[in-house]
Amino acid sequence: MAHRSPASLLGETLAREGRVAPAVEACYEALASQEQDPLLHAVLAHLFLADGFYDEAIVSASRAIELDPDCAPAYLALGLAYDRRGGLWDQSILVWQELAEVRPDLVIARVQLGEALFAAGFPDEAIEAWKAALQLDSGASRAMYDLAVAALMREGVATALPGFRRAGELDPSQDAFFFSLSGVSDDGVPVPDPAVVPEDRDARLSAAYALAFREEYFSAAELIREILVGNSQDAEALALASFLYLKQEAVNEAMAVALRSLTLSTKTPAAVYVLGVSFARRQGLGHSTARVFSALAKAAPEHPMPRVLLGESLLSLQRFSDAKTAFLLAVKLDPTCVRARFGLAAALLTQGEYAAAQWEIRRAAYHDTRRQGLFWRLVDGYTEGRSI
Amino acid sequence: MADDYSLKLFRAFVDHDPSRAIDVISAAKNAGVYQSQIFDQIYAPALSLLGGAWASGAVDEYAFTQSSVVAEKVISFALPPMKADDTGVTVLMGTMHHDHHSIDKTIASAALKEAGHRVIDLGVDVRPADFLARAEETDAGIVFVFASMSSTAASVSRVREMFQAGNREDVVIFVGGGPFVADADLARAVGANGVSRGVESAMRLVDRVTAAAGGER
Repeated sequence: MAHRSPASLLGETLAREGRVAPAVEACYEALASQEQDPLLHAVLAHLFLADGFYDEAIVSASRAIELDPDCAPAYLALGLAYDRRGGLWDQSILVWQELAEVRPDLVIARVQLGEALFAAGFPDEAIEAWKAALQLDSGASRAMYDLAVAALMREGVATALPGFRRAGELDPSQDAFFFSLSGVSDDGVPVPDPAVVPEDRDARLSAAYALAFREEYFSAAELIREILVGNSQDAEALALASFLYLKQEAVNEAMAVALRSLTLSTKTPAAVYVLGVSFARRQGLGHSTARVFSALAKAAPEHPMPRVLLGESLLSLQRFSDAKTAFLLAVKLDPTCVRARFGLAAALLTQGEYAAAQWEIRRAAYHDTRRQGLFWRLVDGYTEGRSI
Repeated sequence: MADDYSLKLFRAFVDHDPSRAIDVISAAKNAGVYQSQIFDQIYAPALSLLGGAWASGAVDEYAFTQSSVVAEKVISFALPPMKADDTGVTVLMGTMHHDHHSIDKTIASAALKEAGHRVIDLGVDVRPADFLARAEETDAGIVFVFASMSSTAASVSRVREMFQAGNREDVVIFVGGGPFVADADLARAVGANGVSRGVESAMRLVDRVTAAAGGER
């Protein structure tokens, strides 16, 4: 790797901070002396992409690849630029194939390759690419969403719905929503030691939530049991207990405890959430699921996730227009919500609006890639010569 | 009354007795509780009682798990009917000759099946004569013809002509696909009785025809 100038490093720093205009300026200044730096062109392509200048992004990313055919971040920027510009599926397929060759461990390359193949009219090859992505990472929710959309187009809603549900479960945003309902977030505070938690209800509940957030379910369950020994009618403690059962795939236990929590207090949205998710896992409970998620949407109107969950349950009831409305509201609440955009794409497909559906899937792809911070991970890997 | 059944079902769960649990559900049905109400009125309250027993420590963790296993074993007796009842309405669907676009047809076909209709999917690239032949074979009274290109959409008129030639003017023909959605007059020009603008629209069209025919078609 050639020595990088201060202007080049400044451009990269500003770009990482999302300050597009000064970053572009710094990159151009650096290019005057370091035109042969592929990373500089790749960063510039990323910046153009962020601002919607797809043709410019294509030129910069292509130049980066010309200078170094192993520049993985440039392939990512180029592929995304082709996809978002639309109508350049042949080139897009080639780029994603090349990225998969440069970085065979990169799940997103397979997912994107599948999406480009599907858009170009090669559904069987696309499905193979998504399956390959899931083999690399069984938690690749976007590959599962894509497979669900493909199933919808080839076999209809009933076949596609389990795929949407599975993708939703893989999607980390669903758990994040549960914790946000209870005001828990990643605050950087170390996980509490259950042995030294003060012996009062609030401290125990707070610690139990923190432990559950870190996926230490058994320790969290022990604290919940201590709370219930003091008061077996603590609706909030029961709501968390139901979530812990759900995470251990004990759906009936989760349902039983969530129902108990709601019998004691209807004002525990966390229990409403667990009940809805438990219902959604049972075929035939579409009406009950929709009712529960509708209540959750009213209880948490500022969150997109209840709308998404409601939309998915409405799809199962073949209430496609209502589902579309729910997904549209979710997208309005959070334009970066990948799951809402895939759901919206499904609803649009039922109305024959293919172009709009494809556009939603492309937007979902863009936000998903951004959410993962993939470009910068590839830059770091490329710069340091290490793998992710 | 439902409370009694819920309590009995809860006891069957706690006693780890699936056959008694099934008997309780059957007794509730015999007493007039509809299948669609069993889950909400009896099963869910029984589960709530189980949750309460676990919370209070009346049942320990092991017994709770065992009771949940029993609940799992009998849940299929408590769930609402999964499929809609057979409507007896036969619907023929296919994409026009020389047209290989299948998505509209596939999604609509699956949804109509879910709604309880007897759907016969002829696939893509279907000749007008095949629509008539299969309508004769199956006694279908409703036919959906999909076309996604201007040329194939215009040629749907040949399907209507074929049905006229076969003395089957009673068959209702609906069309679907981009060209028909974009140009409302095109459907009339090809002799169609209506345009499907997506899955819900297709379901409404079938419901309208069946209602007009007194529930049979």
